[in-house]
Amino acid sequence: MCNILSNRDRLFRHGRGAVGFMALVGFLGLWTAGVQADEPDPGAQAYAHRLAVGVCGTCHGSQGNSVQPKFPRLAGQNPNYLVAQLKNFRGQTRGDPDAISYMWGMAGPLADDTIDALAKYYSSQRVVSEKVADSSEIAHGRDIYANGVASEGVPACAACHGPDAHGMADFPRLAGQHSQYVLKQLSSFKSNMRNVAVMHGVAQSLRLPEMRAVAAYVESLQ
Amino acid sequence: MQSNKYVLGWLAVAAFAILSSAKPALAVPSFARQTGMACEACHTVFPELTHFGRMFKANGYILDNVKQVQDVSSKKEQLLELASIPPLSIMLQVSYTQLRQSVPDQANVDLPGKAQNGTVGFPQQFSLFYAGKIAPHVGAFIQATYDNAGGTFGIDNTDLRFADMMILPDDHSLVYGISLNNNPTVQDLWNSTPAFGFPYAASNAVVSPLAATQIDGSLAQEIAGLTAYAFWNESVYAEVGGYRSAKQGVTNSVTGAAGPLDGTTSNVISGVAPYWRIAYEHNWGAHSIEAGLYGLDVKLLPGASSSGPSPLQSPYNRFKDVAQDLQYQYVGDEHIVTVQATRIHERMDLAGSLAAGTTANPSNQLTTTRLWTTYYYRRRVGATAQYFQTTGSTDPILYPAPAPGENGVVTSANGSPGTRGWVAEANYLPWLNTKLTLQYTAYTKFNGSSSSYDGLGRSASANNALYLLLWFSY
Repeated sequence: MCNILSNRDRLFRHGRGAVGFMALVGFLGLWTAGVQADEPDPGAQAYAHRLAVGVCGTCHGSQGNSVQPKFPRLAGQNPNYLVAQLKNFRGQTRGDPDAISYMWGMAGPLADDTIDALAKYYSSQRVVSEKVADSSEIAHGRDIYANGVASEGVPACAACHGPDAHGMADFPRLAGQHSQYVLKQLSSFKSNMRNVAVMHGVAQSLRLPEMRAVAAYVESLQ
Repeated sequence: MQSNKYVLGWLAVAAFAILSSAKPALAVPSFARQTGMACEACHTVFPELTHFGRMFKANGYILDNVKQVQDVSSKKEQLLELASIPPLSIMLQVSYTQLRQSVPDQANVDLPGKAQNGTVGFPQQFSLFYAGKIAPHVGAFIQATYDNAGGTFGIDNTDLRFADMMILPDDHSLVYGISLNNNPTVQDLWNSTPAFGFPYAASNAVVSPLAATQIDGSLAQEIAGLTAYAFWNESVYAEVGGYRSAKQGVTNSVTGAAGPLDGTTSNVISGVAPYWRIAYEHNWGAHSIEAGLYGLDVKLLPGASSSGPSPLQSPYNRFKDVAQDLQYQYVGDEHIVTVQATRIHERMDLAGSLAAGTTANPSNQLTTTRLWTTYYYRRRVGATAQYFQTTGSTDPILYPAPAPGENGVVTSANGSPGTRGWVAEANYLPWLNTKLTLQYTAYTKFNGSSSSYDGLGRSASANNALYLLLWFSY
């Protein structure tokens, strides 16, 4: 399963857009439901804990609740997504600027069992995010998230990321994520620096105020 | 007699050349090769550290992403872990310096003329580094530098570290370690302290003020210290240790060996000089702020003076340096803003110098303040402005007027160390390991006065300097 998931970005890259992708979602969702990752052994877990607090934690926070918006919050993140991304960093197939500058080097030496253990560690951490007051921008983002933008052919974010934005299958959790980080990822999808076909399609269709709105909305979620 | 004065004058000039030599700088691509991470992970723009860079240093320079050559015993004990790529780097500084007003051709007023203005340093400095992991938990930053003033290679800033980390029950980290280094504050994590503070590079072909505190580079590479530190939750830092003299290029006059130090050597530490440091750092959003205190209490046996060898024995001079520092950083993808400041206060008890007749007062005070701010756009184009000031006790022997027949320049007409001015610097980095610098230093006061500070008509602004620098490392 891990190998399949680590190829997720590559699958997307060769996809033919949202329609083909949605078919894959259903398939992967059904498939992953019946297959669980092996439990990381205690040694790998202890090592990953040490890495998470002592190395990754410098940017992402010791329990995955980063304070710097440059670095994503990892607490409560979907472990499948974390495994896939770490393998993409390790394989140097994720090409947004911060991935190249930081994570290609950082993930380079990680063994598969360490990656699994890191994913387990972060996914089990409690999410701590600041409560954000509601605003018209957030309301706008809520609408886009739930319903998409029909006139621009943008599908509902909720379809893949879940109605509560907690992620599902191998799609990432967005709830509580730094809006600045989300915005930067959308920009990287748009420019194809982060090469994910379905998100490229979405980001190309979204206008900047809409990106800002949806980023603000997902950050406001707990 | 005349020739003796001539020699003494040049000795003084040589001493100032050493004291005023360009600040060695940290910018080491071997760290990037070792970690696989770009410069920006650890630096805003080299050599200024980001929070991640501070943690990399605190953890002993050992984070790596390089294939290792390993050896283990039959009991699975790790015997060796060698990176397949040695962490070596080079650094080159080429410079041009233009003083606002030339200095006299020679130290003797009877020899007229002006020294050539417009000094090319090629290289001003060339350094070799071992910078990276040595073994698990052990890393090093070792710099050997050729500089054009000495014309020789010598040991430069060096910091050997053992470091480890423990996870506390609340998932806070405690990084702790030991540093063996040769310059107080070279091991520090913030760029607000002297060793890696601004200016990160400066000309070595300028006129430097008479006074500097001991912790402000006066003892660099002439002492060795062992310090222990702990960094809790990446926010509370404490360090304590001691320094002892580790003179370079001196020998014992009886045995001809590299030691023990004797009375032919000057400014030898008596016993161990304690060093201490506390700091608090807080990070939020893209912002980071730090405030701290640091200090050094050093007893120096005067030893040899310009008049010749003198027994290495009490009375000694005692320098108590206590300093505050402050750093603010905003590190965005497009914009980077940094504000840094330090104020060093030194109390000198000069029993040794008083007995030798090289000071007028039994005790003096000296305070240096520096405040600077830096802006960079996309790590490519940036500028720094710095205000600096030194004030202190008047002492006509320690900060002497020119003797009859001698040119001034490095003298003080009123015996005061008071100096203040500005540094303005513009930088362009075509690549992150290559920096082009245009720097201008302007003095509004120099060695106690703004006009005729040296007693022979030279104004403070005559020492203003334009400095062009090409600086790269690989």
